[in-house]
Amino acid sequence: MSLITYREALSAALWEEMERDERVFLVGEDIGLGGGAFYITKGFQQHFGRDRVVDAPLSEAGFTGAAIGAALAGMRPVVEYQFADFVTEAFKMIVDFAAGNHYRRMGPVPIVLRLPSAALVSGGPYHSVNPESWFFGTPGLKIVAPATAYDAKGMLKQAIRDDNPVIFMEYKKFYNYRPADLPPQLQIDVPESDYTVPFGQARTLREGEDLTLLTFGTSVLEALEAAQVLEREGVSAEVIDLRTLVPMDKEAILRSVKKTGKLLILHEARKRGGVGGEIAALIAEEVFEHLDAPIRRVGAPDCPVPLSPPLEKAYLPGTAQVVGALRELAAF
Amino acid sequence: MRAKIQNAASEPVRSEELAGLDFFRDLADRYLSIEGLEARWVPIQREDLRPGKPDALRLHHLLSLTRAVEETLDSAFRSGHIPGTAFFSRGNEAAGVGSASCLREEEWLVPMHRNCGAHLAKGHPPVSIMAHFFGRAGGPSEGRDGNFHMGYRPKKITQLISHIGTMVPIAAGIAWAAKLQRNGQAVLTYIGDGGTSSGDFHEAMNFAAVRKFPLAVVIDNNQYAYKTPLSDQYACPALALRASGYGVPGFLIDGTDVLLVREVVSRALERARRGGGPTLIESVTMRLGGHSVYDRFTDYVDMEKFKLWQEKRDPIKRFDQYLIEYEVLTPEEIAASHARARREAEEARDAALKLPFPDPAKVAEGVFAE
Repeated sequence: MSLITYREALSAALWEEMERDERVFLVGEDIGLGGGAFYITKGFQQHFGRDRVVDAPLSEAGFTGAAIGAALAGMRPVVEYQFADFVTEAFKMIVDFAAGNHYRRMGPVPIVLRLPSAALVSGGPYHSVNPESWFFGTPGLKIVAPATAYDAKGMLKQAIRDDNPVIFMEYKKFYNYRPADLPPQLQIDVPESDYTVPFGQARTLREGEDLTLLTFGTSVLEALEAAQVLEREGVSAEVIDLRTLVPMDKEAILRSVKKTGKLLILHEARKRGGVGGEIAALIAEEVFEHLDAPIRRVGAPDCPVPLSPPLEKAYLPGTAQVVGALRELAAF
Repeated sequence: MRAKIQNAASEPVRSEELAGLDFFRDLADRYLSIEGLEARWVPIQREDLRPGKPDALRLHHLLSLTRAVEETLDSAFRSGHIPGTAFFSRGNEAAGVGSASCLREEEWLVPMHRNCGAHLAKGHPPVSIMAHFFGRAGGPSEGRDGNFHMGYRPKKITQLISHIGTMVPIAAGIAWAAKLQRNGQAVLTYIGDGGTSSGDFHEAMNFAAVRKFPLAVVIDNNQYAYKTPLSDQYACPALALRASGYGVPGFLIDGTDVLLVREVVSRALERARRGGGPTLIESVTMRLGGHSVYDRFTDYVDMEKFKLWQEKRDPIKRFDQYLIEYEVLTPEEIAASHARARREAEEARDAALKLPFPDPAKVAEGVFAE
């Protein structure tokens, strides 16, 4: 058992899966010779060779389609996009080909699409996206959002072993965090032995009685901070990390809302068209009678992600905003 | 005429000569071979392509079956048995049959929507094709999709999606897997003249060339992309010339000659199996019908050209005539082959129409692999 960084966890998962299964190979831009824009695959090509760690020409649609083809023919490709934003180039390959393939009775497409997601520091409109809404409405795609090193490793291994296309959102912001700097709830030992994290199981990061704060991805940090502030004010917030969006742990969400009667959904992605809307509708449809207050959502405003620091700060849902929403909810 | 062509074969073709290329006239007795930056005319020695009798019977059966299956589907559409729409390959039968019959049993075929002949040559049973078109449970997609979007996994035929261009990267990836698995297999795919304008086509050709994926790409140039003529689609004299830009060999051939198609594609696949990488083959035909059953093509197709190709370059008529001229089959044997094909297509239709429709209660099943 050890505390490792999110980056080390991702690298370890890829390395171990490539050692375990020779069908697994990697493709992306600059991942081989240079080890990738974020160095997740540093040293891989030297060890696994040019055939299994492939520097593709700059052509996301082409190499995504080719990876899907390889998956149809029995391989297990892991595709890295340099930034999640660039997955739009390959959209058709993913939503029209890979996602619908099994439904059309044409066999499984075991492929992992690694999307370095969310804002980092002044990434601007084309290096900051939270891409889940682009895919959430498409049947046939699993969508996962690991927020800890433990999940990053276990979910990436699970994704590689899954027979379906998996949108694997990984968070650039988390790559460099030293485990010791994270809130204690996120300091989870990463086993050196083989393990996987099953999809569809939310994690309760802290138990609470008064309200439920449901979140995923980068926003787990703001959620935990805000819950701590509320605790000092005598409000007990339950914080749940969804961990995977498809499949979604509906039971965990309903159970917590039935217990607390109040729900705030938080994500870094824009509020409009965000996954939070779907969850709010689910709660309204299934456990409306348990609600003691209107459902609240906190997400980014309805504009592209801006670059200049004060604008970016204003855009991203921050702890103060979450605290404000929680106070209102608690007071309702 | 022959002497002139043979002289031309020894000299690289000048670009001025290609500027005025006329597919009907200029591909009648020769094909263009592109290696590096040079293009050369190669005369076709038809006697050398002469098939033995069993081979001829097999090829003839596949060609006539392709037409019979599609004519049967066309009339089934008009009788209301086909939900959605239907696309047919009339005029392209030789290109599909000639190319896909070069594949080995274990190799993948990645067809497009005018490759009925390729499906049949690879072994897709007509009854399965019909069931698919009719939206029945017994079809390969169990009613989830229709038209020529079907694959047939038992014979290693992939499905396709409507988006044009998509399948070239997919095919490149299957070839990539073959290379990684070191199984010595090659992959065959197709794209239309319109599809060559898509970014996917370019991205796949480039990637396949860089990594020497074992792939043969046939451009089914049938002179119209839906309602758009070639003059609005590309500016180069021949799409095959793009092979030079990718660093792969290219061919420009008459795609209505089943024996020529087979010869050129089999060489490309052999090269791919040996590790030589991809080949680009432009196979020129004329779409002898509309884009789909709904298309009033006579509104926009150059009907003079259409009639000329229909008269002189109908792939099936051509093969009938060749077989008689070169004394491979008798007119009686040819007539018997056509009759057999029609009978098989009708039997397949009748069997497919007896299959049940899919169970509506299962509409949302099978989205994920378990």
